[in-house]
Formats: sequence, structure tokens, C-alpha cells
Amino acid sequence: MLTTAVLLLCGLLAGCGTSADGAAGGKIELQFSWWGNADRAEVTNEAVELFEQRNPDIEVQTSFSSYNSYIQKLATQAAGGNAPDVMQLDYRQISQYASAGLLLDLDEQSAINTENVTSAMLRTGQSSGEQYAIPMGRTSQVMVYDSARWQRAGVAEPEYGWTWQDWSRAMRELGEATDRTGATDPGWSEDWFEVWLRGRDKSLYTDSGKLNYDAADLAQFWRTTNELSQQGAVSPARQTTQIDGSAANMPFGRGNALSGFTWDSAVGGFQALIGDSLRLAPLPVGPDGTPGQYFKPSMLIGASANSPHPEAASKLVDFLINDPRAGEILGVSRGLPVNRTIREDITPTLSGLDKRIAEFQESLDGELLAPPSAPPQGDLALQTAFQRDYDHVGFELQSPRRTAEQFLTNARSELQR
Amino acid sequence: MNVEAPDQQVSPPRGRPDSESAAADSATRRNRPRRREGAAWVFLSPWLLGAAVLTLTPMLVSLYLSFTQYDLFTAPEWVGLDNYVHMFTSDPRYWRSAMNTLIYVLVAVPLQLAVALAVALALNSIGRGKGFYRSAFYAPSLLGASMSIALVWRALFNDGGTVDDLLSTFGFDMGGWVNQPGWALLVVALLTIWQFGAPMVIFLAGLQQVPHELYEAAEVDGAGRMRRFLSVTLPMLSPVLFFNLVLQTIQAFQVFTPAFTVSGGRGGPADSTLFYTLYLYDRGFTASHMGYASAMAWVLLVVIGIVTALLFRSARSWVFYNDKG
Repeated sequence: MLTTAVLLLCGLLAGCGTSADGAAGGKIELQFSWWGNADRAEVTNEAVELFEQRNPDIEVQTSFSSYNSYIQKLATQAAGGNAPDVMQLDYRQISQYASAGLLLDLDEQSAINTENVTSAMLRTGQSSGEQYAIPMGRTSQVMVYDSARWQRAGVAEPEYGWTWQDWSRAMRELGEATDRTGATDPGWSEDWFEVWLRGRDKSLYTDSGKLNYDAADLAQFWRTTNELSQQGAVSPARQTTQIDGSAANMPFGRGNALSGFTWDSAVGGFQALIGDSLRLAPLPVGPDGTPGQYFKPSMLIGASANSPHPEAASKLVDFLINDPRAGEILGVSRGLPVNRTIREDITPTLSGLDKRIAEFQESLDGELLAPPSAPPQGDLALQTAFQRDYDHVGFELQSPRRTAEQFLTNARSELQR
Repeated sequence: MNVEAPDQQVSPPRGRPDSESAAADSATRRNRPRRREGAAWVFLSPWLLGAAVLTLTPMLVSLYLSFTQYDLFTAPEWVGLDNYVHMFTSDPRYWRSAMNTLIYVLVAVPLQLAVALAVALALNSIGRGKGFYRSAFYAPSLLGASMSIALVWRALFNDGGTVDDLLSTFGFDMGGWVNQPGWALLVVALLTIWQFGAPMVIFLAGLQQVPHELYEAAEVDGAGRMRRFLSVTLPMLSPVLFFNLVLQTIQAFQVFTPAFTVSGGRGGPADSTLFYTLYLYDRGFTASHMGYASAMAWVLLVVIGIVTALLFRSARSWVFYNDKG
């Protein structure tokens, strides 16, 4: 009877039975998973079907979920040695997964052609010099603003090449001319600090993953943003602390501020809240005109080092990045394609907001500096720490200098571990 | 403490199931004929398997991990007591989270029990609509553990939320309670206090056990309302009060969902709602320091154990059991 119980439990828990590994009817079976929504799933499955038609000996099992559950599921799968053969990866996952030996070195895979991807973009998928992932879509920082209200306030609209000083002046003017603040306070996010820092020829990390700025830099950034906040030029601390990444909780999205920084892949959320007067503008540049803004991979694709079929997996990666027909099917479902020819092919077919984002990116092509290489492991924790620590400055619990020093001490120990 | 389920709200004190099984085990051995033992094992086996596979093993693994540095991807690396030493000597946020939790326990638990007792007393004396009012007051406890109620709570106390608007019409312009470091903890505590239904129901049951003749005798002796409450109701209710106190204290130490939701997952603003379990979750799942998170979980288990033991010890001097008197 005990055996019956054990068998019953086994059945419930699964995994005790025979596993369906290996080939299904002589075919190679690949697992391919990504994060996204139903729209992305539809076009992805369509592209995968085309791949299966072209490669009758390969069968691809696809699965997807929302970003947060995908990240957690993938971590658990990878920790257990069961990562899918082909997987969509985030910029911030590359270093961690690569250094743990979980990703296939794509340099050794002759099936993958990277001719149409700029070397600057390719670098974002590298870790210690090896190519572990290929970027799929690209995105860039963008300032979204309500042009109708700016015009009513009589403040000149931003254009490429405006400096952080111009930006500060515009924020003060907007704060004085209206009953709202000029912008969402950018002091809360490491992303906007990074743009400011790159405009000063520094960066968050060196190529070897060490910090590439000091407490004085961060203190200066925070002192500036906090002063603007106290002058009513950018959002007050109690509004800034609400920010959780969603457009609806940004002071700009809530209608308390007249502009805000975001990523062009997230502009849709603001369009829904602000309406037709929403405009896109580049972020301010450094004092000598150095742009801090860059093209970032919105997501990358890689293969598992434990995959029993590395050739088939790389074939699929190559297909998704380079096949013109696949590019047509996938469209901008993963941001504007990184592949130059495919991007040029699909841009004329776009309309509405997609078109404006494409035009925005086009206007910056050739102007921006190369993106940084993938951030080191530990950076994810620092992103949350950045917002948390800025709260201490905003609520005047601690000076910018002292808080910046604390952040850096914490950052150093986080990067060491 | 189970690291996998930090939002576990209603969990019995650890150790109780074990002692029950031990009791059942020895009872079978002594009193029942031997051939019946087999059947007992069969019926027990799903539970035993569950306890071994799903509770005991993860706990032991977590104990092992607490002595390692483990990021989920590379093999755990043995570091001895490093995690514990770091926690106590060089992690100010650890102490901040411990202090927040302590303040929360000291504020939320007594207030919640006081409200529960007051409402139970009121409900015990009304005649009509008893059922309706009991359900109405109990409902928040059923809903309260959910994410959605915490979200509603956040919306109510947010900048421009209902509570905020209401107060600003009276001239108090707060600009959002959950967005001020000085008030956010109170909002989370209020959410807990509002969920007084479960202890209230237990108080109600306890109140109905108080023998009526005691009140009559007290009245004959000339005791007023207050006197009757202090000298009859409270002592007779003390075992129930003790039970509620232990249960709510243990739960309060493990508070997670309301703080996670109300503070947007960060324990903000400015760490003011960074509770112990929230920081534990942050270390484990955001920063990938699973070893450190495991060590935190074990310290919490030990602290809850000590506090519970102290409560039991104090009970000797104030809990009155009828059968002894």
C-alpha cells in the first residue's frame, strides 16, 4: 500500500516517470522561450512555423510569459541545468549567465551571420570578449513632453543638442509659468544618471565591470536634481517616490509634470495618458556637446551551453535575426530590428506611434556614441538601491554627498560578491 | 521560516504539527493492536511525505545555504559564519528592517487586539442584526491578505487618493500618506489593524464561555460596568487573549504582502516600510544573495521562537485557567 501512495505522489509531482527526451520521430527538438504578450506570441509562432518548414528535421517548442515571471522561471531552470535551447535574454542577464557558463559561445557557431549588426550593438551581447548573445531590437532614451502645455507656457521646445543647463533653465521656466512642475525628477533613476555621466565622458562601469565614476559625480547630479525639486522645477520627493516604472505612476503620466524621461519602447503608455500633444525629444547632452544617450538592445537572444543541439539552436538564432521574411513577420514586435537591412525594409511599412519612434531613432543615427558593454552582475540590485537612496536626499534625511558615498560603498561590495 | 513563501499569512506556529504527530505516534504504539499500525502509516504517509519533502528538506537546505554564498547559478560556496557576521556588524539596512518590524509589531498587535476586543464586546451585547455585523466586521480578515486590498489601500492613502482628498478639504494637505517617510509605516499598520476580524471571532467565542452567574454575583456585590469588565471578563478571557496575542505576534513578525504592495516593493519611501521579510526578499530575489537571505530567515525563526517562549513564560503570571482555580 505504501508503494501505491508513493506512486500516486509521483504521478502528482511528475518527473518520476520516463521523460520524453531526445528526438520526436527522428526530429531534433528545440525549446525556445521568451517574454512578451499575446501579440508578440502570434508573430513569433508564425516565424517559427516558417523556420520549421525550411528545416523539416527540426521541431521548435515555444513558450512565453510576462517579463517578471519569465526572469524568475529562467533563473530556476538555469540553476537546475534545464535552460531552454534558445532563449530571449535581458541586457542585465548576460554577464551573470555568461560567467556561470550557461550560455553558448556564439563566435564558434558558423551558422550565425552578424554582418548586418553594427559592432557597437554586437558588443552589448559580449562578456569578457566572447559573443554570448545577439541583440534583437533596439531602443533609446527619450524625453516625452506635452507640447501643447509647453507652448502655452511660452517655453521653447527642445531640440537635439540642448545641454543639461538648457534643460534646467527650461524646467525652471515651466515651473514658474504653470501650476505644475517642468519634469519628473530624473534623480531617482540610475538610467538618467548614466546619460548625464556619459555626457561628461564617464560611464557607470568600465569594460571590466568596475565603477567608472566617484562619489563627487553622483553627489553633483543629486544636488542639482534635488535643488530643482525644491525650487518646484521638477517633481517633489513625495511624487518622485511613487515611481515604479509604469507610466501611470510617473509624475508626467499623472499630469503633475510637463515632461519626463523614458525609453522609446515605453512611449505607448504615455501616449495613452497624454494624447496627441505628446512629443518625443532627445535627452540633453553634456557641457561640451557629448551625447550621453545611446542605442540599447531592448532584448537579446542566446543559446544554452547545455543544449544537445548547438547547430540547430544557432540556425534558429540566425533565422530570427537575419531572415528577411522572418523580419517582415516579426515587424517591430521586439522593438526596431537591430539588423540594418531588415530595419530599412520595414520602416516604410510603419504607421502611427511606431513610425514616430522609428523617425526619432533615425534622427539620432550616427549622432550617438557606442552603448556600454553589458552591465556586471550585481547591477540589478544597484538599480533599486539608486531609487531607494535618492529618497533619503529628496526627503532631506541625508545630504547628497553623504548619500552618494553610501551608495558607492554599497555598490562596491555588491559588485565584489 | 519558509523562504519560498514569505507572504504566508496564516501559518500555525512551527513545531505544532511535529508534536501532534509524535503524540499520535506514541498513542498508536501503546494502545492500539499492532496490526492496525499499518493502516495508520498508510493514512499518515501523504502527510509525512509532504512534511519531509516540502518542509523539512527545504528547511535543512536553507540552513546549509545560510553558511554559503549562493547566487542560484554557481555552486554554493562555503563561507562559514560570514553571512551572520555581516548581518550583525556591517549592514545598517538589516538593523533598519529589524527596527521597522519591531515598531510595527509593538504598534499593530496591541492596537489590533484592542479593537478586536472592543468590537467583540459590542457585538456580544447587541441583539438584532448580530449575524450581519459579525460578517461585516469579519470580512476584512478574509480579504485582507490579498494583494488587491493592499492595492486599494495604497490608492486610498496615495497622493490625490480618497483619504488625502478628504483631509485636504479640512485643510490638512498631506500630499499622500504612503509617500511620506513619517507616515507610511502607520498606513501599513492601519491595514493590519483593520483586519481585526479573526481575533474578534475568537474573542466572541471566549466571551460566550464566561459563566453568567459570575456577572450576577459581581452585580450583587455592587460592581459597576468597568469593575465587572476588569474583574470578571478580563481574567476569564485571558486564555483567549493569550492565544490571540501569540498568534498575531508571530504573524506580525512575518508581515510581507501589505508592505510589499503599499511601498511598491521597495520598502520605501526612504526605507520607512522596509520590513524584515521585505529585506529578506530583496536580498534573495533582487540581489541574488540566497545564502544571506537564508541566514536572515533563520535569525527570524530564532527570534520568533524566543519571543514566543517569553510570551509563554509571562503567561504564568497573568493567564487564568478556570480548571486550575
